[in-house]
Amino acid sequence: MSAESTTAINRSIVDLLDFIDWSGVECLNHNTAHSLPNAIKQGYREDEGLYLESDADEQLLIYLPFTQVVKLHSIVVKGPEEEGPKTVKLFSNREHMGFSNVNDFPPSDTAVLTPDNLKGKPVVLKFVKFQNVRSLTIFIEDNQSGSEVTKVDKIALFGTTVETTDMKGLKKIEDNH
Amino acid sequence: MVLEATMICIDNSEWMRNGDYSPSRLRAQADAVSLICGAKTQSNPENTVGILTMGGKGVRVLTTPTTDLGKILACMHELDIGGEMNIAAGIQVAQLALKHRQNKNQRQRIIVFAGSPVKYDRKVMEMIGKKLKKNSVAIDIVNFGEDDDGKPEKLEALLAAVNNNDSSHLVHVPTGPNALSDVLISSPVFTADGEGGSGFAAAAAAAAAGGVSDFDFGVDPNIDPELALALRVSMEEERARQEAAAKRAADEASRQGKEEEPSSNSQDATMTDNTNNTAAETTEKTADPMDEEKSLLERAFAMSMGTSVSDTSMADADTSKATDEDKELALALQMSMQDDTKDPSNQSDMSKVLGDQSFVSSILTSLPGVDPNDPSVKDLIASLQGQPESSEQKKKEDEPPKDDK
Repeated sequence: MSAESTTAINRSIVDLLDFIDWSGVECLNHNTAHSLPNAIKQGYREDEGLYLESDADEQLLIYLPFTQVVKLHSIVVKGPEEEGPKTVKLFSNREHMGFSNVNDFPPSDTAVLTPDNLKGKPVVLKFVKFQNVRSLTIFIEDNQSGSEVTKVDKIALFGTTVETTDMKGLKKIEDNH
Repeated sequence: MVLEATMICIDNSEWMRNGDYSPSRLRAQADAVSLICGAKTQSNPENTVGILTMGGKGVRVLTTPTTDLGKILACMHELDIGGEMNIAAGIQVAQLALKHRQNKNQRQRIIVFAGSPVKYDRKVMEMIGKKLKKNSVAIDIVNFGEDDDGKPEKLEALLAAVNNNDSSHLVHVPTGPNALSDVLISSPVFTADGEGGSGFAAAAAAAAAGGVSDFDFGVDPNIDPELALALRVSMEEERARQEAAAKRAADEASRQGKEEEPSSNSQDATMTDNTNNTAAETTEKTADPMDEEKSLLERAFAMSMGTSVSDTSMADADTSKATDEDKELALALQMSMQDDTKDPSNQSDMSKVLGDQSFVSSILTSLPGVDPNDPSVKDLIASLQGQPESSEQKKKEDEPPKDDK
């Protein structure tokens, strides 16, 4: 039995965009003209003109399920200086949260964004808290200037996958038998 | 076919005893609710509906969102009246009930029946609206009953605060002959459901007596295109026939009946009735003015009596054998025969006019839109029939000798 499948493969930290399950993505309190794909999807998020905007007030609640279990390492949140988000709370594996119960449980991590972060500097998270993430809820509580609406240009998640992905390696082992 | 969980907030306050919406405001609401439940479930079987009451001692949830229509209808029977409507609490409890729905993939909708005065002010309504919008809850408000100053504005403020992409609606239902449910059926409350819901709503509209619907004759062309087409065509026919009859009466004085023949022929051709087409052909062959008018009358009678009679009338046209079942037809034949034989001046004119009147009255009674019990219609028919009655008896005496030709 070759040890290929059992050695600790050094997985590099990748953009988890490909592992987002788009059918279950939800966003509460967003302006329908400026919706979530503007901030997350490839191409959309690079465009300065396309951003995610909040609606009735400055809070936003984003729910992102994944197609497989992932470990989350860091996130990048880009936005304008004034209306960009400030306090961002992350909850892992909590389905269908609403604004009323965001304060009911402690977040897996909280990030207070600085203007540097808003320019693209990644925020490193407590890796230990995000070892087994099936879904992620991002709660943007307020923004930098305290304005009525919050604008987000880009949200990018970085981490690694958990499942074995090297199918080719597996096959080689079987051939040797 | 949107998957949706709906909470319906019913107003069962003291104001609902009023009978300005028949039979009482509360029962009108109950009818509307059962229609809504049916429409929602039909448009998507996984849709759930729940009911709560806003009046009484306080807001009370009768059923949480469920697909079971029987449970909902059972709750509607147990409604009792009392207290005051608390709209703010009602909406908030509805929102809570929707939050705890079992299928989180369902959209959230609240339908509020606002029948009594709203005692909260605009600010509160707007705040509630904002909260609903934040949690992506749509709301449909049915404004009926009491109309104190400020209520429409407050409800509009609530709608404006909630409305996201036109998913929420406000419907005003004034008092009047139309029932609450009928007005709702044609409103966005039903028609926003999509294909399935609107089909159900249209069927309900067709079934409801005197229902307000967007379609003529209360028949949805989607459901029954042939019927809708037939009704429309026969309406046009009747109109054309009446015009022809009126024209004939006018033209007889100047003896220019021939021009109307082709026009009425073309209108008749729209009717998908083969025997009538053959009748047109046979009558056109003769090209005799007397025969044309006679056959026109016969054709008209044939259409109002049915195709079987038209067959016999066509066969009998030339022989003028009167069918005993149909005295009016005999009368028509008799009159046309009289025209052939007698001097076609005063008497034929009068007889034609009289004939037209009796035939017009028969048409009136057979018109789809005319209610024969309507007193004005009754008077009209009576006046028309009063005149030819005496001459009818005279003509019946003349019939036996004229029978065979």
